[in-house]
This record gives sequence, structure tokens and C-alpha cells, in this order.
Amino acid sequence: MINKTYDVTVIGGGVIGTSVAYHLVKKGFSVALIEKKDLARGTSSHCDAAALIVDKMPGVDAALGYASIKRFLELKNELSYDFELTQNGSMYVCESDQEMEIASKYAKDMQADGYKIDILEPKELQEYEPFIAKDLKGGIFSKECCGLNPFKLCFAFVDQVNGKGLDLYSYTNVTGIKLNVKHEVEGVETDKGFISTKRIVNCAGVWANEVGRMAGIEIPVKPRKGVILISAASFPFCNQKVQEFGYMISKFSEFECKRDPDVEKYNVAFTIEPEAGNNVLIGSSRNFSDISFNTEIEIIHAIAKRAIRFYPILKEMNCIRSYAGVRPFMDDHLPLITEVEKVPGYYIATGHEGDGISMAPMTGRLIAELLAGEKPYLDLTPFNYKRLS
Amino acid sequence: MDDKLRDDELVCRCEEVTVGDIKAAIKAGARDITEIKLRTRAGMGLCQGRTCEFLVQQILSRELGISAEKTGFSTPRTPQRPVTFGTLGGDGFDK
Repeated sequence: MINKTYDVTVIGGGVIGTSVAYHLVKKGFSVALIEKKDLARGTSSHCDAAALIVDKMPGVDAALGYASIKRFLELKNELSYDFELTQNGSMYVCESDQEMEIASKYAKDMQADGYKIDILEPKELQEYEPFIAKDLKGGIFSKECCGLNPFKLCFAFVDQVNGKGLDLYSYTNVTGIKLNVKHEVEGVETDKGFISTKRIVNCAGVWANEVGRMAGIEIPVKPRKGVILISAASFPFCNQKVQEFGYMISKFSEFECKRDPDVEKYNVAFTIEPEAGNNVLIGSSRNFSDISFNTEIEIIHAIAKRAIRFYPILKEMNCIRSYAGVRPFMDDHLPLITEVEKVPGYYIATGHEGDGISMAPMTGRLIAELLAGEKPYLDLTPFNYKRLS
Repeated sequence: MDDKLRDDELVCRCEEVTVGDIKAAIKAGARDITEIKLRTRAGMGLCQGRTCEFLVQQILSRELGISAEKTGFSTPRTPQRPVTFGTLGGDGFDK
């Protein structure tokens, strides 16, 4: 049975929990990382993975995303385990003049904030992506966007500090949070024993509310599912992550635009991402559901339909697998990176929806700075728990 | 399984994963089929583990001293065999 004391206990071994644990150890804290299965077995291995700037809204969303890209480039050298980071850029493409108009306005807003985003003419799309459909109206591009392997990123964070300030407790279930009479955190009860700790960080993603309720804290994360298809390995016909601009429309309801009714039901928008094994990952859908990893045939059909519309070459290429993951969605599209005032010692890092991988490096760093009592790299007010009340 | 399985022997032909790669993944903490898959790509290729899964189970079982059933299996997913995106996304697709 466990019976140990740590400065901080992190709950959840996905990309947020492993990043938080790594950055806390770097600040000198002793850290226990508790995971109910093994590392990266939930959302962090049932997703695609890119660190993009072209899918962030101007303001705090873009600031957090951009700072994370810069941190990723540092981590490539800092972590010994290779998490397959590449910086090949990323592109959004538009099907209609109306989409192109919205995309150009978005790009100009981002440029005004200092982000390097180019607006592409239709013929420039072909130069970047020779196999893309020839009837598109243009797109936007940033060469700063990165691709990476999300579960290897989790392994990389843990391998670097495991046994050197971090103890990993996998296959360990949290059964309760112990508070004292002043409602301060005293420890974590698990099915393997008791961990004495004054601070916990809830990084449980779509399961965060369960861990919140153990301390009387409601965390309104909603599961928002996505399905992805994998191609058989082939010659490299796709150079970078490419998405239809409809993806932005599916992600943020602020954009109003007419869409293919066949894909609207499951909020499907085309994305394609080259991967280290010469496969491509093709997505994806966005619908509220329970926590389920099933891939529905109607959604697979809608995704494949969009895929051959944007890359006609795929018509003749094989799909070898489908999978689904569940994103931790917040109503206001901003994550929680925060303390909880009514329970001193309780911290939350979750609610990144589909940006968990992309924002993990900065989320870890910000939580570590918050716990160390330092001035955080970014103002944490927009990510505070207080905004929900 | 042959006792003299060499470390350079191929286990997963699709992704070219060897016995040595599998053993290294076990050393790094992998305890079941999915963890081996995430760390080595064994079972991620064209045949989706049809050829190698049994072998990986045997290696896991021997290295960890657990029964083959305890090493789990890869989650079955659509499609059951490779099928073109044209078929999956075509107009004649039978939902």
C-alpha cells in the first residue's frame, strides 16, 4: 500500500497531467502522478495532434496557443524521448467565396495582433499541396504550426523526470479527496493507499467533474466526441496539416456560414494530417455525447465524403482503421488553469476541448508558476474558475 | 514460441517491429497489447495486428510472467479490412 507524502499530487496521466507533473518537478516540487489506467490511454491517444496558430481566436486563445508552439520548440531539445515534433506549417482552405471572405478577415485580425498568417490565392494552394482539389477559392497559411505525436509527448514528459522528483502511480484509482476542517486539501485516497499532500491538480479531462465532486467542486466539462480515419501507408501526398475553413465554423459557433447538410448533423469538417508512419489521419466530427469511443458508420461516411472532396486522390486509397476520442469541452471555449478559492490547495487544469495537445506545454508551465507563487507568463484571469460562478 | 527468438527477428511485418523493440517497450513500462502498440507501432499497419498480435501476446506473457489473456487485445474497429475512401464516402454507400 502507498503511504507517502508529496508536495503536489497530479490526477490524470494524459497530456495535461504529464505536462503539469513535468513542469512542477522542474520547479523543485516532489510530485505524485496518479492515473487510473496507463499514460495517455484516454483522450491523448484518441486524437490527432498539432500545435496550430491558424485555428485560434484572436486574443487569449491565440496568445496561449502561440506561447505553446514556442515552448514545444524548446521541449524538442529539453526532452530526451523523441515525440516526433515537426514544424511544417498548416493551412486552412475555403470552398466558397463566403468562406474566403470570413477567412481573410480572420487572417487580417490575427496579422493585426502580430501573428504571421498568409492569405493564399487558389493557385498558391496547389504549390503547397499538389494533390488538393483544384476548385477551391483560396486559403490561409502559417508556417509556424507544428505536428507531433501526442502519446509520445506524454511518455517524453514522464520519462524525463520519473524517479527524479516524480513518482508515477498507474492503474491507481482516486476514491476520495481528504479535506481538513478549514476545507483545505490534506490528501488523496486511492485504491492502492493514501497520499498525503497539501495540493492537488485535477487534470482528469472529460472525467474532471468526478474528481471535482470528491471535494464538492462542480467542473462543467462536457464530452464532445470526434471520429478520425486512418489511411494505409502511402507515398507522401500531403505535406502538412490541412483543414477546411468549415472546421473553424464547426469549432466556434460565432462564424455563420452555409454548410453541406450531410455533414452538419455531426458537425463534420475535413482535416488531414501526415503522420510519422506515412499514414494520414483524416477527421473529424464534433458532437456532444456520453464518454464513448465507438465510431458510428454514419460519421465515418460523412468524414470520407469530405475527404475525397478535398483530396480526390483518396478515392482510390485505403482506410485501415477508425477511432474516436472525447474532448473536454467548455461552454466559453477557454480552459480552466486555476486555483479554487473555496478549497485551498485544489487546482484544476482541464477543459481545453480539442486544444489539449496544442496547449499542454504552456498549461504545465502556468500551473507550475502558479503553485510556485511566481508571476505567470500569461495573465490567468481568463482561465480562472471564478468566471463560472 | 521458440525459446531462441532472436532480438532482431521481425514480429510486426507491416511496421517492421522486432522482438528487441517489443522487449524494450516492456522495459519502458508497457504491460498490454495497446501499450506495446503506442510505443512501437506493432499492430498499427495494414493488417492491423492480425499477424503479430498473437506473437506480441506471447512475448508480453513470457517477459511479465502473466497469462496471455491478461495481455489484452487491440480494440476491433471499422473497417474490418482495408476499404477505399471512395467506397466509404461514395454516394452509393449503404448506411
